[in-house]
Amino acid sequence: MKTSAILLGLTLLVAGNAVAKDVELLNVSYDPTRELYAEVNEKFAAQWKQQTGETLKIRASHGGSGKQARSVIDGLEADVVTLALAADIDAIASNGKLLPADWQTRLPHNSAPYTSTIVFLVRKGNPKQIRDWDDLVKPGVDVITPNPKTSGGARWNYLAAWAWASVHYREGGKVVDFLTRLFKNVPVLDTGARGSTTTFVERGIGDVLIAWENEALLAQAEPSSRGKFEIVVPSLSIKAEPPVAWVDKNVAKHGTRKQAEAYLRFLYSPEGQRLAAKHFYRPAEPDKVPAAELARFPQVKQVTIDNAFGGWKKAQAEHFADGGFFDKIYQPK
Amino acid sequence: MTRLTPSRSRRLAGLALAMAASTAHAQSSQPPTVEELARRLQAIEQRLGTVPTDASTDAATASDLDQRLRVIERKLELQAEEATAKAASTPTVTLSAAKGLSVKSPPADDVEVKFRGLVQGDGRFFSGDEQNPQNDTFLLRRVEPTIEGSWGTLVGFRLTAQFAGDSATINDAYVDLKFDPRATLRIGKTKVPVGLERLQSSSSLAMVELGLPGELAPGRDIGVQLQGEFAGSTVNYAVGAYNGAADGRDGVTVNPDEDFEIAARVFVEPWRNAGNAFSGLGFGIAGSSGDKHGSGNNFLPRYRTPGQVTFFNYRNAVVADGEHSRWSPQAYYYRNAFGLLAEYISSEQEVLLPDSGARDALDHRAWQLAAGWVLTGEDASYKGVVKPNQPFTLGSAGWGALELVARYGKLDIDDDAFPRFADPAAVATEASSWGLGLNWYLTGNFKLVANYTQTQFEGGAAAGADREDEKAFFTRAQFSF
Repeated sequence: MKTSAILLGLTLLVAGNAVAKDVELLNVSYDPTRELYAEVNEKFAAQWKQQTGETLKIRASHGGSGKQARSVIDGLEADVVTLALAADIDAIASNGKLLPADWQTRLPHNSAPYTSTIVFLVRKGNPKQIRDWDDLVKPGVDVITPNPKTSGGARWNYLAAWAWASVHYREGGKVVDFLTRLFKNVPVLDTGARGSTTTFVERGIGDVLIAWENEALLAQAEPSSRGKFEIVVPSLSIKAEPPVAWVDKNVAKHGTRKQAEAYLRFLYSPEGQRLAAKHFYRPAEPDKVPAAELARFPQVKQVTIDNAFGGWKKAQAEHFADGGFFDKIYQPK
Repeated sequence: MTRLTPSRSRRLAGLALAMAASTAHAQSSQPPTVEELARRLQAIEQRLGTVPTDASTDAATASDLDQRLRVIERKLELQAEEATAKAASTPTVTLSAAKGLSVKSPPADDVEVKFRGLVQGDGRFFSGDEQNPQNDTFLLRRVEPTIEGSWGTLVGFRLTAQFAGDSATINDAYVDLKFDPRATLRIGKTKVPVGLERLQSSSSLAMVELGLPGELAPGRDIGVQLQGEFAGSTVNYAVGAYNGAADGRDGVTVNPDEDFEIAARVFVEPWRNAGNAFSGLGFGIAGSSGDKHGSGNNFLPRYRTPGQVTFFNYRNAVVADGEHSRWSPQAYYYRNAFGLLAEYISSEQEVLLPDSGARDALDHRAWQLAAGWVLTGEDASYKGVVKPNQPFTLGSAGWGALELVARYGKLDIDDDAFPRFADPAAVATEASSWGLGLNWYLTGNFKLVANYTQTQFEGGAAAGADREDEKAFFTRAQFSF
């Protein structure tokens, strides 16, 4: 018995060094949200500390939205996911069984605290005179857009182009032909939206970048590239709704459900909405943001994923699943 | 013909230089034209599978070529990024003579599994054994595959099976919880931290079998052990609680008497990091204490010679009945090719003859001094000669490393053991043993050993005579990785 007591004491002594840890949250996000979440994480951690006294360390991982979703399914223990499109979180729900299928109903606005749209970024003076989607398929125009197989932003780009072509040509074969010609003009297919921005802005490749509006506005605002680019708003675009969700199985495992939900609800608060606008995302609740901060967002005629494509599940299956339209449109060389 | 602007021509000139080395006809002293460069760029694009749909060699401008070159550069950049990302998520498998086979996960998981092995095949021969004949034999002494590694930063593990002998057993099976270099909690079956030579790896022993002090120290046992090191690894310690093992043997799979044994050891190498003449000096003290209650081999010792012949055991009626304590001062010194190992150990056990009620605390003691000299100049160490300077190679100058070793030791049985607890006509009261050995490290993984040991006894034969000397010639071939 005396040996057992000594042993227990030794174990407790050693184990005592291993407790008392700060709480950590991992936000697995997509490419262009780096700047947004860098500031959101800092502001929310400070607010959480003030409200609860708990020190919260929030880590963020960024990459192509599809790749990020695959990482979470494969075991990356995200507490929250803030991805480019609902289909990627649907995949985590259906393939990974890490959150319920109705996750999108748990937060306001279909769990999308901010939106964006798809625009063109061209070089100063718009040397190739790009005004609308049909200018992108002209010979000699190099178009930069990421790979829809790995990038959520790329899927929005593709669907915006498809929506315009559907209205313009009104014939399926011509729509497919239009998209085929468009992707023939793409010299580099990056895996994520930020990679495409790098290709276009930093490496000087291409005549036009199909981009998230927030990414285009950010590129324009960067001191190193200020005045070198112009934004062209096409005649028709798509309302991009990047959703957010806490990952139920992971937060249960980490004991972080309370923190994860509060973190995402913070995005809907006046401060969260202002931060979204500051980083060029359109707030889902614009009444919480001073009008002056919304002035940078032009009026854009937009379709939605639901009314133009019947929702993400249908769009994903028809266009981006193996053997879908995109595989017919684009074959890697 | 299109003329190049200076800024664009620099970029294209770089490409041209690269292509010139592999282009036999590009030996002209004239600078290349844009059309020539376009053709060569297209050749590279074809090799990389990146030919643009509107690529043209005839109508290409310097601006076009610049864009196409940028595309190639970007694609190579993305390929490099992809390769880096793939490497970061792909396990690596390494196989080397020194470290065996290991599989390592991507850094994020921090998992490593190593596969090791040890095989020892002996030839054992006795001479002058007329009174007490022994078997001359070939013997597989150890066949030990090991799986060890780490599972994240916290968990380490080791599993070593023993396939030599009539049935497979487990030598080591433990999990380490590595809280800190100063505090690792080891749970499972491991060597009990008492005997200096017993704690040495089986593959590193100076001679074929342990010296006499090893017979008084516990072998492996199941328990929980806290261990660690301080002060730049100059101080290391281990303290633990175990089921309790008899002298010179491993503990059994369950605790036969429900009494536990505590063992502890502190070992210091004060000048380990100093790089002076005392860097290889280490000394320490170890001990164990616990009650034992029971009879038979799981409780009471049977002491063996270096030839593995039993020369002492208690009478059948004797039982262990009370405290069993050991203590052992120990030291080693290694300097260049020279090595010296010294240890003393005392093992005291309360014993009882139930029929008569006779009781005593018997204190048996042993010591040894072992010295070695590496004739070929490699460093001697507690781990043996780790790597010969010139491994043995057929037909070349390399002969490996040769080490000469000598050992002397004594084991003294408590005089009070006789005659009540042990039969003086059957077992010896003292054994003294000297031995000489030659270790030939052909490579870092293969060793040949030849030992001669001679052991003298006091008592152990009828009518108060001494048991005849044991003269043993042992050889060993050892492969380890």
